[in-house]
Amino acid sequence: MKKIFLIIPVYNESKVLKETLEEIKQYGYDKIIVVDDGSSDDSFDIARKECLALKLEINRGKGAAVKTGIEAAKKLGADVVVTLDGDGQHNPKDIKKMLQLINDKYDVVLGSRLKNPQGMPWYKIMHNQIGNFFTWIIYGLWVSDSQSGFRAYSRKAIDLIDTKTDRYEYDSEIIREIKKHKLSYTEIPIEVRYTQYSMNKKNKQNFINGIKTLIKMLIYS
Amino acid sequence: MLKAILFKISFFQWLLIVVALFFIVDRVKKFFKKEYKQTFLKFIFSLIIWGGVLFFSLFPDVARQLSMKLGLGENLNVLIFFGFVIVFIIIFKILEIVERNERNITEIVRKNALRDLEKYKKKKK
Repeated sequence: MKKIFLIIPVYNESKVLKETLEEIKQYGYDKIIVVDDGSSDDSFDIARKECLALKLEINRGKGAAVKTGIEAAKKLGADVVVTLDGDGQHNPKDIKKMLQLINDKYDVVLGSRLKNPQGMPWYKIMHNQIGNFFTWIIYGLWVSDSQSGFRAYSRKAIDLIDTKTDRYEYDSEIIREIKKHKLSYTEIPIEVRYTQYSMNKKNKQNFINGIKTLIKMLIYS
Repeated sequence: MLKAILFKISFFQWLLIVVALFFIVDRVKKFFKKEYKQTFLKFIFSLIIWGGVLFFSLFPDVARQLSMKLGLGENLNVLIFFGFVIVFIIIFKILEIVERNERNITEIVRKNALRDLEKYKKKKK
């Protein structure tokens, strides 16, 4: 029986976190690691009651949180790691398909919103395509959704992947690592639920953050 | 034309050409060997700076014409050019220090968070 760990980075998600974790558990996944990225609300306390929760004392970004979660999962003997967002956007029913592909032969399974863009706002599609283009130019690998946080990794992949960046550029850095270590990967369409809550979040990737992400990608390339 | 340029070059120009070529070759080697700290952005900036030094050493007349067009005296032009080089180097160094500090902070914060994991593991045992 493979040890499957779910890593959820959160930053001020107290409004939806409990609901998100309960939904994941309903699908039968009980090894969940929530990494609280310096939230100022009670996200950490909520997570602590539901699963293993780790806290970054100050906000260091999504990349730092996911990396911490993956490191924890490795120490706990994970065979497969799945990363997903804490705002409930990702549908846990897609995890099963990802695990199936990891079991089949792949080292990394990338969830792609652009393979199933129904309900996705046009500006998000455009933003993603720009991200894909620069990821391809800088790291040399074309994927349909370089900014997706919904991904699954085999043990081999998490042992090899070594990222340096802390914030949103982390997602693109993973693409670089896939190419660098010649990891086998595939993309699958995922369902993303755009709710009023997720659309109004302040800490989401916006245009200015996109420029900063691009500069950091260049610096660390 | 190249022969004519090479014969007209003074000792100091030769010196600058050699230094600029040394740094360009060094940076290209470091970049393609993917040496630590040699990032794409730094590589491009190094090429622009040392490429500029090389260009103006080979074609000082261009710098002279440029300074005339800009209404600057020759000496002042050289001063401004080196001023820019120094400012660029300082900005690079500061960026490097800031990035290093950011990384160090993240590492400390992450290690601290992982300490809780050890407590969790002990509790489970």
